[in-house]
Amino acid sequence: MQWQFSNDAPIYTQLIQQVKVGIVTGAFPPGERLPSVRDLATEAGVNPNTMQRALAELERDGLVYSQRTAGRFVTEDNTMINQAKRSLAERHVKTFLEAMLRLGFQRDEIITLITQELGEEEADHASA
Amino acid sequence: MLRKLLKHEFRATGRIMLPMYLVLLVTALGSNLAGRKMLGPSDILNILGVLIIMAFGFAICGVLLMSFVLMIQRFYKNLLQDEGYLMFTLPVSIHQHIWSKVIVSSVWFIATVLAIIAASLIVAFQGGFLRELFDFLRYFFEGLQKLKISEALNGTVYLLEFAILMFLSLVAFSLQFYAALAAGHSRANHKMLWSVVWFFGFQFALQFAGSLLIMGLDRMNFFRFFDCFDGLTPAAAIHVGLLLAIVCAVIYGAIFYAVTTFFLKKHLNLE
Amino acid sequence: MPVLECKGLTKRFGRTTALDEVSLAIEPGRIVGLLGPNGSGKTTLIKLANGLLTPDGGYIAVCGGAPGRESHSLVSYLPERTAIPTWMTARQLLDFYGDFYQDFRREAAEEMLDHLGIQPGQAVRQMSKGTREKVQLIMVMSRAAKLYLLDEPIGGVDPATRDYILSTIIGNYNPEAAVVISTHLIADVEKVLDEVVFIHQGRVMLQSTVDDIREDKGMSVDALFREVFKC
Repeated sequence: MQWQFSNDAPIYTQLIQQVKVGIVTGAFPPGERLPSVRDLATEAGVNPNTMQRALAELERDGLVYSQRTAGRFVTEDNTMINQAKRSLAERHVKTFLEAMLRLGFQRDEIITLITQELGEEEADHASA
Repeated sequence: MLRKLLKHEFRATGRIMLPMYLVLLVTALGSNLAGRKMLGPSDILNILGVLIIMAFGFAICGVLLMSFVLMIQRFYKNLLQDEGYLMFTLPVSIHQHIWSKVIVSSVWFIATVLAIIAASLIVAFQGGFLRELFDFLRYFFEGLQKLKISEALNGTVYLLEFAILMFLSLVAFSLQFYAALAAGHSRANHKMLWSVVWFFGFQFALQFAGSLLIMGLDRMNFFRFFDCFDGLTPAAAIHVGLLLAIVCAVIYGAIFYAVTTFFLKKHLNLE
Repeated sequence: MPVLECKGLTKRFGRTTALDEVSLAIEPGRIVGLLGPNGSGKTTLIKLANGLLTPDGGYIAVCGGAPGRESHSLVSYLPERTAIPTWMTARQLLDFYGDFYQDFRREAAEEMLDHLGIQPGQAVRQMSKGTREKVQLIMVMSRAAKLYLLDEPIGGVDPATRDYILSTIIGNYNPEAAVVISTHLIADVEKVLDEVVFIHQGRVMLQSTVDDIREDKGMSVDALFREVFKC
């Protein structure tokens, strides 16, 4: 898994996002055991306490659960994973829209642009 | 912990001293050969022989010098330079650090003296050498037998006292170096310059204190004390003199031990 | 109980004041960055905590006591220079640490040396500068100490070595121990830290957690540092 961090947000919130992405994309499949805090921290190159804090937050949200001795597991509840997926998507769309509005695009212009882009992509797929 | 310090100190110094002893041994063997086989009619062999004997002379100077240089260099490099960062953060007391340096350099001094004696015997060794040596020892012991017990005993004890005195003076002298280095390196800048200044300062202070002491004792009519010797035999007077000298060497060493400890403990300022 | 505490700590070198009334406390389980420009007093503070310098004023306590023989058995210290004797081989170095530190985990050190491809018979003298620094760090991190004091562990090494060093620090993390990392290369260590202490001209300017800074100021610690210490 690729870990990337921006400079403007707290590290633990970015960790929460990235573990969520991992769960949604299947890098951490449902019901699977997560690596230990230390291993995850080493892999991401972050402070173990920060990683611990992020996982605790995810646990509070219900996306992961811990078993006393065996460690932390990804939830098997697909509706919850889909919810997370949707909220991640909404967040992307929101930032995209904000950027477009800042550039001076109107709602309908944005939609035209998107359908156009999607059409081109489809054509690419067809020709390939 | 002192034992562990000693172990690693011997490791650090042995890798230098042992090869030196080996060189001493090889040149001694060479000189022995040169003395018996080479010096003679052939010019080339003559030159070669003289060169080997000269090498032996250099080897003797070398080990003597090296055991002295090591004594100071180990203290300086291992404690006051970069390695000091490692050494002074070991769970070891300052006393143990100083003792490990003093003990190890003393052992090398003694070993060097023994090695030089052994090497000299090797040089002198020839066909009849062992017989001559044993003859000499026999005469020596026969001579001893002719002496009175008291005289023989006195002689041995003199030798022993003298050896102890030499040894203690050497240790005390090393401690004077250590004290000067420790004091100089407690300064923020110009550490080596200050060490030299401290060394000569100590030397001056010692002589000054010594002169003052003698003058003071003189005023107090202390030298009447020696009148007590009048009743002693000359042999006993020499003992008293040697023992007094030993006491002085111990005091001399103890002062510089205290100075070294003081600076390393209270005023350590590693660069 | 803090593992490192100072109150009004002052150190002068001749006429310059290297540390001026520094007060701070570091709790166990934290990885703390001691950040400041060159010559700000970071190394002086760490050397005082190791008893390599004697304070001119104030008070410093390591694991509850003044720096000394007892604290040395609890503190693992990485100096900013190579202090391991260069004549030693890797094996002799392992012997050395094992002899003096009861908390030295020899197997862990051997494994890390092996991982770097360092032969036990190889002398430190024959190693490159970067390898020496790694070997020294391996020795320091192989101890199960209560306080790790790492002075410029990533200064002057290449990016791959830097990553190795940081992951070694994270991989050896122990919740009962605190790690203090002094550096001026903040962007590289920022993610590894819980807390930062900004130190400038011998004074503590700020002590805060990394995420608090990011949350409150909306910028990285590195960006804040550049702003605070702008020339």
